[in-house]
Amino acid sequence: MKPENILEVKDLKVKFPVTGGLFLRKVAEVKAVDGVSFELRKGETLGLVGESGCGKSTIGKAIINILKFSAPDVEITGEVYMRIEDKEVNLLELTRGEIREYRGMIQMIFQDPYSSLNARMSVGQIIEEPMLYHTDLNKKQRTERVSWLLEKVGLQTEQSKRYPHEFSGGQRQRIGIARALSTNPKIIIADEPVSALDVSIQAQVINLLQELQGEFDLSILFIAHDLSVVEHISSRIAVMYLGNIAELGPGERIYHKPIHPYSKALLSAVPLPNPKLKNKERIILKGDVPTPMNKPSGCGFRTRCPIARKECADFIPELEIKEEQHYAACPFV
Amino acid sequence: MKEKKENNKVSTSLFRKRWKKFKSLKRGYYSFLIILTLYLISFILPIFIGRDALIVKYNGEFYFPIFKYQSAESLGQNLQGEANYRLLKKQYQEEGGDNWVFMPIYPYGPNENLLSELEGNPPHPPSSEHWAGTDDRGRDVFARLAYGFNIGLSFSIIVTLFAYFIGISVGGTLGFYGGKIDIFGLRLIEMWSTIPFLYTIIIISSIIQPNFILLTFVLTLFGWIGITYYVRGEFYREKARDYVSAAVSMGAKNKTIIFRHILPNSLTPVISFAPFAIVANIFSLVSLDFLGFGLPPPTPSWGQLMQQGLVNIEYWWLIATPLVSMFLTLLSITFIGEAIREAFDPKVYSRLR
Repeated sequence: MKPENILEVKDLKVKFPVTGGLFLRKVAEVKAVDGVSFELRKGETLGLVGESGCGKSTIGKAIINILKFSAPDVEITGEVYMRIEDKEVNLLELTRGEIREYRGMIQMIFQDPYSSLNARMSVGQIIEEPMLYHTDLNKKQRTERVSWLLEKVGLQTEQSKRYPHEFSGGQRQRIGIARALSTNPKIIIADEPVSALDVSIQAQVINLLQELQGEFDLSILFIAHDLSVVEHISSRIAVMYLGNIAELGPGERIYHKPIHPYSKALLSAVPLPNPKLKNKERIILKGDVPTPMNKPSGCGFRTRCPIARKECADFIPELEIKEEQHYAACPFV
Repeated sequence: MKEKKENNKVSTSLFRKRWKKFKSLKRGYYSFLIILTLYLISFILPIFIGRDALIVKYNGEFYFPIFKYQSAESLGQNLQGEANYRLLKKQYQEEGGDNWVFMPIYPYGPNENLLSELEGNPPHPPSSEHWAGTDDRGRDVFARLAYGFNIGLSFSIIVTLFAYFIGISVGGTLGFYGGKIDIFGLRLIEMWSTIPFLYTIIIISSIIQPNFILLTFVLTLFGWIGITYYVRGEFYREKARDYVSAAVSMGAKNKTIIFRHILPNSLTPVISFAPFAIVANIFSLVSLDFLGFGLPPPTPSWGQLMQQGLVNIEYWWLIATPLVSMFLTLLSITFIGEAIREAFDPKVYSRLR
């Protein structure tokens, strides 16, 4: 593990078995994540983009190891190394009991601010909860920290007695952020934290995340489907398609000079705010995304790729370096 | 200043919000108040309805027969066994001395044979003294109805509590652990649910004399299945919600996740169904009593009165009074249930106001 990295994902594969019949035998499997490797550097924000169903949320959930809870049959292979002080821990090897002590280091912000907060608990209790498991602060210290965190995320201290249904979506997401920060984590996995919010609120929440990143020294894995959001916050971007990373590189470069044909198509679909500027060329992909239950052989993108060739069916392209720090999984560009 | 006030506004938990909504649904709320008051009163019923005097003053001493047995002789009454306080009251009045008897408002007990005081053959029709007449053994029907209310309602509340405890535990286990436990557990429940419960009770009752505990036990044994499916479904759904994932990702243990997170969010069907389950259990007890397989005589019970009414169909009060009481009780509880359901309904439209 390189010293600048805080998280390294190696060849991560997540398969959900599809069961059927009287005895629930496995009849097929969904390869939600099919061999993904990347690293998260200390203090950076890595954006993970891709369309719905490409496996980006699954990666986040696999890293913090919560998939097995709701889907006990899931098969997860590969390695996820996390650096904790001077130790390196493979999170996937740990049992649910063993991983518990590292949970405070890596926290998640969820997509839907309406379902991610327990409606029966007050905001104070919600933010306090992680501290119960990972710190030995007493009640008074915890209450103080809750107030401090509430102020940090731009809410008022008095609001800790309120219940989630009394808040708007943006405020709820701030509560979610405060909860994630309550144990002083090093890594935050933000799973589409703004896609359920109004555009005006999105900017606020993203700016808040950026401010807090500096203050708490966070490394963020920012999962989103909206390229313009990701471009704003991320230092590097990984573009995913059907369970694989298609392109990985510095944000600027991916946004302005994408290499992989899928990234090009994805970027050409980003609407421009200025009506006078016309999109140079709008690449419209033909067909639909194949189902991850029945992926095409070879390159997953070849069925829709404008530059597909015969050979694309024969091998799965690996990320190869194209420019400095810039990788793409296509040998023909 | 104004803003500050706004912030200090009392925050409402989801439960308080629903309670407020429930209170606004007048029909259900008033039914709830009436049933609750009557039920609470029914625990101290001997003060209002009963054969035992509350206070007796005899030869300068005070006696409290309601708490302590007094023989007739010790109060100067020429009778064997326990004193008859109504006769004693008359006796004292006739004697005109310093002695007096303070009776309950309605001075007749539920299991007391009044044949010695009433003329003619039972059942006696309703009169100003016996508001609902007497039954075929000369017992006061109104007193029996009142005592039967407490027994019926207590019985069904206890059965509902036990049944829901089992149902929630089983349903929660199936829903939370899922997989094989769920599949096999559900099949076992399905097998169990095919046993017809009324017949089982009738068979048991014809072998041994049923009592309160046995009936509670048997009804609980067959009453927990319905709610299990709902709780299981709720657990399945809540388990997949993000706040549970969040709890897992912050390192909560299963016990915490179940009791702190999933269970409080899964109780909506439980609370909504509870009044209807109580109604159903009252009904079960009345049916069993009616068929003669319920609580042993001489326990005052509505079903037993109805059965008498069926045998003596020309004495209308024997069938009308228990029917009307049951109708009103079940109606009120149904109103409560309806209002609770409405109060827990996330959709805000309401016809019940």
